[in-house]
Amino acid sequence: MKRTNLIIIILFTSIVCNAQKYYTRSGVTEFNASEKAFEPVVAINNSTTAIFDINTGEVVGQVFIASFEFKNALMQEHFNENYMESSSYPKAIFKGKIDNFSKDRLKTVSEFDLVGILTVRGKEKKISTKVLVKEINKKLIITSNFMVKPEYFYIKIPSIVQEKIANQIQISIKYELVEKK
Amino acid sequence: MFGIGVYTFYNYVFSEPTKVINIASEFIGQSDEFKYLFTEDLEGWSNKVVEIKGTITGIYDNGVLLDENIYCQFDQNTDLSSIVVNKEVVIKGKVVGFDELLMEIKLNQCIIIQ
Repeated sequence: MKRTNLIIIILFTSIVCNAQKYYTRSGVTEFNASEKAFEPVVAINNSTTAIFDINTGEVVGQVFIASFEFKNALMQEHFNENYMESSSYPKAIFKGKIDNFSKDRLKTVSEFDLVGILTVRGKEKKISTKVLVKEINKKLIITSNFMVKPEYFYIKIPSIVQEKIANQIQISIKYELVEKK
Repeated sequence: MFGIGVYTFYNYVFSEPTKVINIASEFIGQSDEFKYLFTEDLEGWSNKVVEIKGTITGIYDNGVLLDENIYCQFDQNTDLSSIVVNKEVVIKGKVVGFDELLMEIKLNQCIIIQ
């Protein structure tokens, strides 16, 4: 009896949750690994998929490594082939939760805590950061910044280029989510 | 001679990634055929340029859905005003991969050929 109740509750909540999901297919994920005085090491990915459940605060994001665009073709090639091995590890995935999320606080830009697991090259790393969320014209605008280190994901930087690549890499995200119908 | 060498080297090191319009398509055909070939080799299509004929089933901020599950993202300055649902189009774009979150094939840097 208890079990049936539980199943009904789960089914019901999942139906409710379904109606309250926001998503994007074209989120912007950017990283900056530039060192001062050297050529900028910057890439942008504007095909990030992200889904956000506003009832539970759960977030899932996915980027394809090969769709990071650099200004420089050779740098892009090295990024994919030597550092990220994007043919073996095509995706980076983030799964996490925005704590204490409340829709009532979205009229102005509000800060929330985001905690989750970032998986790059098959290696997991816990990420804790702040996110800013605002609602404009029924879109949720989510922005955030956080730092990662190449060694979190076992990315080896050859010593010859070590001084040209920052050891702290800044990841910035800007996602405009619309309600999923 | 030296000048040419420096120029070639400069071009090689500092050139921008090639634009989709200048890359030869590795697939030209109907969306159904592409879906079939894609599911045979999910990873192998990544970063390849393809030209797909299909019907638009959805229009979004900066992209369209072709036959329910091929999402084609355009460059930000593309004019999408002539696009309507149910129109048959040919789209050239770069395969990003299979989006497991939304269960669809994703293309970006798309351009409308026809």
